Amino acid sequence: MNLGKVFSKGLIFDNPTFVQVLGMCPTLAVTTSAQNGLGMGLATTAVLIGSNLVISLTRKVIPSKIRIPAFVVIIATFVTMVGMLLKAYLPALDAALGIFIPLIVVNCIILARAESFASKNSVIASITDGLGMGLGFAGALVILGGIREFFGAGSIFGTPVMVDFFHPARIISQPPGAFLVLGLLLAIFNGITSKSRPGEK
Amino acid sequence: MRDIVKHGLILLIITTIAAFVLGLTNDVTQAIIVERAEQKNIESIKALLPEADEFQKVEGVAAGIILEVYEGTKGGNVVGYTVKTLPKGYGGTVETLVGISIDGKVVGLKIGEHTETPGLGSKVADAAFVNNFIGKDAIAFSVTKDAPAKDADIQAVSGATVSSNAVTTGVNASTELFNNSLKNR
Amino acid sequence: MEIFIILVSSILVNNFVLSRFLGICPFLGVSRQVETATGMGMAVTFVMAMAAFMTKLIQTHILERFEIEYMQTIAFILVIAALVQLVEMIVQKTSPTLYQSLGVYLPLITTNCAVLGLTILNINADYNLLYSVINAIAAAVGFSLAIVLFAAIRERIELFNVPEVFKGFPIALITASLMSLAFLGFAGLV
Repeated sequence: MNLGKVFSKGLIFDNPTFVQVLGMCPTLAVTTSAQNGLGMGLATTAVLIGSNLVISLTRKVIPSKIRIPAFVVIIATFVTMVGMLLKAYLPALDAALGIFIPLIVVNCIILARAESFASKNSVIASITDGLGMGLGFAGALVILGGIREFFGAGSIFGTPVMVDFFHPARIISQPPGAFLVLGLLLAIFNGITSKSRPGEK
Repeated sequence: MRDIVKHGLILLIITTIAAFVLGLTNDVTQAIIVERAEQKNIESIKALLPEADEFQKVEGVAAGIILEVYEGTKGGNVVGYTVKTLPKGYGGTVETLVGISIDGKVVGLKIGEHTETPGLGSKVADAAFVNNFIGKDAIAFSVTKDAPAKDADIQAVSGATVSSNAVTTGVNASTELFNNSLKNR
Repeated sequence: MEIFIILVSSILVNNFVLSRFLGICPFLGVSRQVETATGMGMAVTFVMAMAAFMTKLIQTHILERFEIEYMQTIAFILVIAALVQLVEMIVQKTSPTLYQSLGVYLPLITTNCAVLGLTILNINADYNLLYSVINAIAAAVGFSLAIVLFAAIRERIELFNVPEVFKGFPIALITASLMSLAFLGFAGLV
């Protein structure tokens, strides 16, 4: 199996946000700023790598009938660990992400990767898949968070970048802005991918 | 049937390992979290009573809205007390931290966590309102809607009388505790 | 009075879907027809109320008693998964007609973050058992309201000529944005 291909699939071609449209709750909720998007993206990546690793390691031991509850316990364990570490070492990020840290458990991306990839592939490939998918998710969140922070607060990663007479459109930072910006981004993504393969349709 | 038992056992083993791993992580991180919280607490207390360099918790005085009392010392001499109160405001409780020097003056006031209306009640946390108390004798204050006539009068934040009352209630509980018991310790 | 505030707050002001972003997956996925959306709403209401009750008991009598609060996420998600399974079995045995209409949505509820989110929010807000269940029902009504309204709008969108690139998720998200804007009007009500 070509590891580079596995990695780039998650990062771009099968991007969990823009192509698969999975894990929408954290995507919309925490992307009020680029920094929060990055934090959530990396936390999810850590959980994905950990759960993919353990599930791949134990794929021959766990009977298929109880694999879903077993996956859920493994994922929840990693989520709780990430939550504890954030609380101890990055309390500000922990406060910003709040309830969406424990909710990583029900992020469909993680269970989907466990079920469709890690439970069928080798450890190395599973880690690569987790890394690719995780970073693809993180990248999408940073893009969305960056756009919303830029228009909603006039800054990027907390640094003001707009000229003085620009009045930030607060609405972009609020819930309606999340839906709107993601909708427009998906439309743009659709436009690009449909142009690059004109033969289909 | 045997399958069910076997599957149950496997799940039990997985959950046990998970609990064990989490227990270990918890032991490590909990210590850091507690230490950080204590440090933050001490820092906020220090800001209330800058004169003191050491703080000791006073036991047995927490009652009603009074949560925590610390005794601040400098070189072994008591220089004042800090009192944390939780009076009820408009949108919930308003954490009010008061520093009182041993000679009976309000030297520090800070509003901690609160859920007052942003832009209205939340203004009680601003320096403009808080400074009304600073430097005054530790007496019972009362909130007025007009310009203050005497020392004990505190002008309410306009449109936020309930929130202003909450802070004043917290300060009054602190000064009362100081006058009745703390200063005679 | 407090009950009334919980109701207004959870149904309108802090609507689970449109302002808290919980339960977006079923919101976008199962909302093409009003009928299916109503079924999903009913199933979620039932599971949420049960889950709020169970998790509150587990939190006070097991997690807090033995000081193992860090097992919260694992315990809650397992309770929800088991509950969903149980509800599925009971409904199947007792009312085949109800099962026909709800059956397909039940397994999806385990991964609906609105359910796990609600149970954690309840614990964080320190609600007692009664308020937990009331808040659960209010949140579920808010979820159902959003999903049914959304489905009604989407049924109409199907009839219009949407630009090619906006078909599917993009137009759905932009519709959701407008609904969210409308619900923003409730802000400050409580």
